[in-house]
Amino acid sequence: MNKKYDAIIIGAGIIGASIAYELCKMGYKTLNIDKLSDAGTGSTAASCGIVRAHYSTEDGVAIAYEGFNYWLDWENYLGRVKDEKGLARFMNTGSILLKSQGHDWRKVKKHYDAVGVTYEEWDNKKIKEMVPVYDLHEFWPVTRPEDPQFFDKPAKILEGALFSPEGGYVNDPVLSVHNIMRAAEAKGGEFMFNAEVVEIRSQDNQVLGVMLKDGTQIDAPVVVNVAGPHSYKINQMAKGVYEGCNIKTKALRHEVMHCPSPEGYDYLNNGYQTSDGDLGCYYRPEVGNMFLIGSEDPECDTREWVDPDEFYAGKGGHGRDNQLTDAQWKAQTYRCAKRVPSMQIPNQPRGICDLYDCSDDWIPIYDKSDMKGFYMAIGTSGNQYKNAPVVGVMMARLIDACEKGLDHDEDPFQFTLRHIGRTINVGFFSRKREINYDSSFSVNG
Amino acid sequence: MKICVCVKHVPDSAAKITIKGKNQFDESINFILNPYDEHAVEEAVRVKKQVGDSEVIAVSVGKKDAINTLRSALAMGADRAILIKTNIRADSVITSRALKAAIGQDGKPDIIFTGKASIDNEGFQTMYRLAAALNMSVASNVIAFSLDQERVLVECEMEADARGIIDMPLPCVIGTSKGLNKPSYPTLPAIMKAKKKEVKIIDLESLAIEKPMSSIEILELKPAVEERSSKELKGQPEEVVMQLIRVLREEAKVL
Repeated sequence: MNKKYDAIIIGAGIIGASIAYELCKMGYKTLNIDKLSDAGTGSTAASCGIVRAHYSTEDGVAIAYEGFNYWLDWENYLGRVKDEKGLARFMNTGSILLKSQGHDWRKVKKHYDAVGVTYEEWDNKKIKEMVPVYDLHEFWPVTRPEDPQFFDKPAKILEGALFSPEGGYVNDPVLSVHNIMRAAEAKGGEFMFNAEVVEIRSQDNQVLGVMLKDGTQIDAPVVVNVAGPHSYKINQMAKGVYEGCNIKTKALRHEVMHCPSPEGYDYLNNGYQTSDGDLGCYYRPEVGNMFLIGSEDPECDTREWVDPDEFYAGKGGHGRDNQLTDAQWKAQTYRCAKRVPSMQIPNQPRGICDLYDCSDDWIPIYDKSDMKGFYMAIGTSGNQYKNAPVVGVMMARLIDACEKGLDHDEDPFQFTLRHIGRTINVGFFSRKREINYDSSFSVNG
Repeated sequence: MKICVCVKHVPDSAAKITIKGKNQFDESINFILNPYDEHAVEEAVRVKKQVGDSEVIAVSVGKKDAINTLRSALAMGADRAILIKTNIRADSVITSRALKAAIGQDGKPDIIFTGKASIDNEGFQTMYRLAAALNMSVASNVIAFSLDQERVLVECEMEADARGIIDMPLPCVIGTSKGLNKPSYPTLPAIMKAKKKEVKIIDLESLAIEKPMSSIEILELKPAVEERSSKELKGQPEEVVMQLIRVLREEAKVL
């Protein structure tokens, strides 16, 4: 006799755990299945946990801004659940978006105004007052250190910044997922680890459940693909699902670096999360008074699409997949060092390497599928961590509505963001959409 | 004062080494300035600042890519560099003879700093051989260094938690260890400046060093498989802390 659940969620990262939590609150008996050994230890573990509102679309801004409310009130969001590991902390540093040619900041400002995001406009004098270590020259266009122009002396100055005081970052993304897992468990949710889904079982185009690598079959009328970088592989297991998506996902290798803060500057306590499109990077404080430096995927950088199974086979074992490359180490740290010339750059590369789950237009797919009962929250492209609590609610409501008969493809589900009182058309995230050319086609979303 | 720093271009300790053939490995990995040598460069630059009117020369024996490691030393504050270029895998005998010849050509220094070992070979010999060849005093595993006119006072880590205090004359060779200082990493302006500093390249063959009577040859490389296993400490917080202290003291031996 197979074990039976109301919903199986494939993946126990930040979004998978959030969906489980919300479905549990709605009375679903859920099971998250993850091939790794604990919650949030896949690609979520490599997330920088940035919480910022600037996105290239208005709905993107709205969802991110709604998410602030969850991070600012984390304990209550979790139903004041006890987690033996303690709670993750939202480090409310505020978020700086430098006005540059690398970001369409005028569009962001328009979206901020439309959504009602609290922000300030800083001139360069104000930026220097708040972050004295920043050099505010314009370095555009983004180049690589191999390019002789990289070291050209800049002539122009930036135009200031948009500052969002409610932004920041989450100090421990893995712990944040563990927190949500405990909250979901308190509502009856179950989590199964070290278990790999190898088959999506279905009959007459209705999902029946999954089969694990050891042959175990588990039944559920609802299966949700939240498999992160493995998302396209899971979709390929479900008959007709992959083919029914106009937007596809694939895994992108990505590196994040860390460097010591300038001598005498307490970046950890006085610094701000900063998005620097002028240099194609973003940075935030990290424990040890370090700069954590991510890439905004500038055009001059080669994108390395990989097979996630091959990548993770190398992880922690033989192979180069979890190794920082010297070229990218230099590219990202040198770029950041143009803004922070007194930042120290160690001789030995330091950082992490993991995968993004990218959609064709870098906007996620939050949708049903062509198979009844099979849903997906995929293509989160390195920019949806912050949105996870909101996406959890949105996906749970979408699933519930569809299970009760809504034809979401014909009559898209409308979801109200309860904190900011705005309704968004979930069809925006449809698998059947055309490529959204309003996207930044980068981690900026 | 003339100060030499001997540095080595070594595989990144975080790199995954893939063995090729019997005794080679895939060198398309990151290479770095040997971490023990970072302390040597840092101390050399500190002495230069203390004494004034001094020059720090970084010297390395290695393949042409070792120039990147010399650039790292230059970015940390060395003034110029010498690369003794060779494609052979030099053991400590060859290395010390090559260093002696190149340093001799350049002019005898007052102090030579180098890491107490390289993280790839861990031979712990080069500084002794170099000092013997140059007829200099030597101290290794140095964790404290001070210079007073023509004399040097160093503190060395010795076996069984003992520390040796050595008073020695100049010129001398110092093998630096971790506790000596905290290397200050270069900034981007320093890295850019280092690109313009002089690096003299000398072919090892041109130094015509005396062929050693014997040398080390690596016959075979085998991967060192490190198994990691996690262990959960259970119980009340007080019990867990006591267990942790016991593990750190008796198993890890770090307390």
